[in-house]
Amino acid sequence: MSEVPSLLPVVPVLIAALAVPAILALRRRPNLREGATMAAALLMFGVVAVMVRGVLGGDTYTANLGTLATGIEVTFRADALAVLFGLLASGLWIITSLYSVGYMRGLGEHAQTRYFASFAASLSATMGVAFAGNLLTLFVCYELLTVATYPLVTHDETDEARAAGRKYLAYTFAGGVLALAGAVLVFWLTGTTDFAAGGIAGLASDPVAARVAFVLLIVGFGVKAALMPLHSWLPDAMVAPTPVSGLLHAVAVVKSGVFAIARVVLDVFGPDVLSDLGLGLPLAVVAMATVLLASIIALRQDNLKRRLAYSTISQLSYIVLGLALLHPTALIGGLLHVPAHAFMKLTLFFCAGAIHVETHTDDISEMAGIGKRMPLTMAAFAVAAAGMAGMPLLAGFVSKWYLVIGAIDAGQAVFAAGLLLSGVLNVAYFWPVVYQAFFESEDDHDAKPLIENALGGTRDRADGESPASGETDVVPDGGQESDADDADARDDADIAGDEPDPAHVDHVADDHHGGPPTGGWAVSGWRGGESTWFMLGPILAAATGAVALGLVPRAFVFLRIVTEIVGGLPGVTL
Amino acid sequence: MIDDAVVLVVLVPLVAAVVAMLLGLRFSRAGWWLAAAGALTQVAVAAVLAWRVVTGGAISYATGGFDLPFGIELVVDGLSAPLVVLIAVVYAAVVAYSRRVGPHATSFYSLLSLFVGGLTGMAVTGDAFNLYVFLEISGLAAYALVASGDDPDSAVAGFKYLLVGTVGASLYLLGVGFLLIATGTLNMADLAARIAEVGFTSPLVVTAFGLVVVGLAVKIALFPVHTWQPEAYATAPVSVATIVSALMSTVAAYALGRMVLSVFTVDFLAAVPLARTAVLTVAGVSIVAGSVLAVLQTDVRRMLAYSSVSQFGMVVAGFVIATPAAVVGALIHLVGHAIMKGGLFATTGLVATRTDARTIDDYAGLHRRSPVGAAAFAVLALSMVGVPPAVGFVGKWYIVVGAFRAGSWAIAAVLLVSTVLTLAYFASIVERMYFAGADDATPQPTATAESPEQTGAGDPAAAPDGSGTRGPSLAMVAVVVGAAVAAVALGLGASAVQPFVESTLQGVFAG
Repeated sequence: MSEVPSLLPVVPVLIAALAVPAILALRRRPNLREGATMAAALLMFGVVAVMVRGVLGGDTYTANLGTLATGIEVTFRADALAVLFGLLASGLWIITSLYSVGYMRGLGEHAQTRYFASFAASLSATMGVAFAGNLLTLFVCYELLTVATYPLVTHDETDEARAAGRKYLAYTFAGGVLALAGAVLVFWLTGTTDFAAGGIAGLASDPVAARVAFVLLIVGFGVKAALMPLHSWLPDAMVAPTPVSGLLHAVAVVKSGVFAIARVVLDVFGPDVLSDLGLGLPLAVVAMATVLLASIIALRQDNLKRRLAYSTISQLSYIVLGLALLHPTALIGGLLHVPAHAFMKLTLFFCAGAIHVETHTDDISEMAGIGKRMPLTMAAFAVAAAGMAGMPLLAGFVSKWYLVIGAIDAGQAVFAAGLLLSGVLNVAYFWPVVYQAFFESEDDHDAKPLIENALGGTRDRADGESPASGETDVVPDGGQESDADDADARDDADIAGDEPDPAHVDHVADDHHGGPPTGGWAVSGWRGGESTWFMLGPILAAATGAVALGLVPRAFVFLRIVTEIVGGLPGVTL
Repeated sequence: MIDDAVVLVVLVPLVAAVVAMLLGLRFSRAGWWLAAAGALTQVAVAAVLAWRVVTGGAISYATGGFDLPFGIELVVDGLSAPLVVLIAVVYAAVVAYSRRVGPHATSFYSLLSLFVGGLTGMAVTGDAFNLYVFLEISGLAAYALVASGDDPDSAVAGFKYLLVGTVGASLYLLGVGFLLIATGTLNMADLAARIAEVGFTSPLVVTAFGLVVVGLAVKIALFPVHTWQPEAYATAPVSVATIVSALMSTVAAYALGRMVLSVFTVDFLAAVPLARTAVLTVAGVSIVAGSVLAVLQTDVRRMLAYSSVSQFGMVVAGFVIATPAAVVGALIHLVGHAIMKGGLFATTGLVATRTDARTIDDYAGLHRRSPVGAAAFAVLALSMVGVPPAVGFVGKWYIVVGAFRAGSWAIAAVLLVSTVLTLAYFASIVERMYFAGADDATPQPTATAESPEQTGAGDPAAAPDGSGTRGPSLAMVAVVVGAAVAAVALGLGASAVQPFVESTLQGVFAG
């Protein structure tokens, strides 16, 4: 392991940052503007790829840019963990940018310059988070990421979008404050916040303060990692355009949350200190609870993007669970799930977006038979969904395998059982979508009791006669009636995540014209006539990535990087 | 010779004030030119002074050649040199800014120069009573400046400021009087030694501390003695609001810090723990209450005024925690906040030249009507919230680190939470400016009774908020953009201040 002083870790950050004024300047030449984004993305990926080679060869690139304030050295470091996230984010930016072009132009969206510029700024901040060399530099880039992604969340400028943006800001800034408090505590305890594989020395000198610092950091970063109960900003952020949802869920924001947690667990505290302090088990319990609860909530979501949102919340906690088990095999599983989930979830979101653009359909209940209309899309969806459930030969299987083995090796077999149960739940909420798309038709499809039935059941008279009208409604104590007409009730319930109102998602607000046209879905062939290749290409690319990661994880480089990370921890022999 | 610059830096604006007034009797347009000349000279002198302090250490000057401690001493050290430069730069910026939009009467420029002279005197004086004199000079000028708006409410606001401000200054004077009785001296350095001899727990000394702090708190506008500030900032002419918001509370907070650290010293705070606890409590309450009150406002300038109440709570907390990191943070936040708040008020004036926006709802969709104004406002607002690497974050960071090291957990928690509180009131404006839908964008033209009078007066640019149709001048845009850029640049460069302040305060913290 040799430290190589080099400006290379800063370069990806700068490339994306310089792309922002370029995009703003090219506002009147849309093709050149998109070209600027693509050029920046390709260049960034190239630089990160160079660093991957170096890191796999044993080098660590370090750049020290001076002091911002006392104790805040601005350092950028490219080690194995940094390069894992950096490679993933920069590679997926290429795919997401192509998809964005198809999506934004397909819908004739407004403010595209602001959109692409904010995207570039978000990627710049994400690279900053990835390559940060200490906790405070990470915090600085983390806050800038919030600022850069806010215009993307509020893109639609409708009331729902603004409410979602406000909630996003409130949650992430509050989380940032807690993370800062934790970082200051670490600085106060040890005099530094530089990441050191296996943990910063001297942190456990005051166990109480160390535990407080850990809780503050995990809660603070857990907002972006969507740990329950800090998750509720994420389903509301689905109001953003689909590529933004892809960015938020797969490429940048939530991944930076789990990445920050990974840094805290591996490079600030270290697995040994955490198991001494007894902090691994509580975190694992929270993660497991999130996995299962989010999957159960996902079963009830009719809106496809909201269902995917809860699926994300659930899957992210696989990563946190892997980290919390503190056992090398589990660590590999958790860290490998970062790229695995990214590829699979991005595929799923891109499919949802393509369906929206082509047919304006957002609800699962209206998607029966859509496999005729969008065969390639739904096939990719099926592959990615199978991967999420952990089917072999796909990315999700490899990471899950390591996680389950790791849980058993760590002596916590209950978590292995939980993971297997989660796999079943994944099937339960993805299978209906796939099945009805290919094996049912729009005029002959089964009912969906999980979605359609009211919470708490329906009210029926015991003597078999039908109840009087008005008595069938379930009225929660102190709340609004379930069929209230006023938009406020729906808004409140929607924001509370109870009654997903499909009209309030992805701006198909007043003219909700989703669903099959009269006469049924038009039949597209399997040769790509269903949509533009700007969208189909990325969908298939992401799906291929998910398959590649499942078939040849080591050759597809990610497993090698993950093995490098875990192998680099002191005291670990793989 | 260079040492005489200390006196010059106070004299130049005072002379400019008097000469402007005299010349104005003959030439009605002379005011701006004289103020501009004075401002440029002031900036040059301040720069020379600061460079001298940076390279050669603190300067001490005995006015009139009287032996210390009987004479009045002027001192410029690492704590006051940044203030002197700040005052000069803001003076020059506001003079440039007010060419188009500000009150054009000679009396305005004369009062402006007098105000700056008083502030500079406060910053460089080493004598407690002399501080009162300059406090009153700047205060009287500020009262008159606030009342000089065309809006009848500004006269009421100025009068209220006069009453409350005079009470505050009188309390400070009473405190200094007690110190004189207790120690027999007024020179700050001498007072520090004599107070230690008298004993920190002596009732005279403790009472004097209380009076001085409360008196200056009125001038800083901490909660609950802030009541003069919202109306004053909301109704004064925008140039006045810019300079008063940027400098008055700033220099008063500096004076509080100077009195606590250099006169009463850290040993007093250690000997009388109640003093530190009381001031920290007031500061913490001010931080929270100021933010809560700011969230409730609909008028933008009023909201900015309450924001100041909150921000100065942080500065005072930094001074009173009195560890090296906290004091550095307080100083950085003082200077940074001056730039940010002055910049925000200047932006409201810029916006007002293009639109009639006064309330938060009027700011909806502002990025279309005034893109530069909206962008500058957003950058300055985010800086105030504390997004790194802007100066708002750096100052807060130092204070938080200082609080942690001193073990003041409660105030550290309040400081951290203040980020979210500040976000609460700034986020709604930023969201309105950029993400309000087209249906929210139409501002209501002000059909108040004032407008016919304004247009009837024949000079639309003389309106208090400059809402004419001529649009902003280049100087206004430059000031606004400069403030936004400075907020970020200062954040990146602020850590350079740390060694100078720490060497200044070596004597303070050595004990």
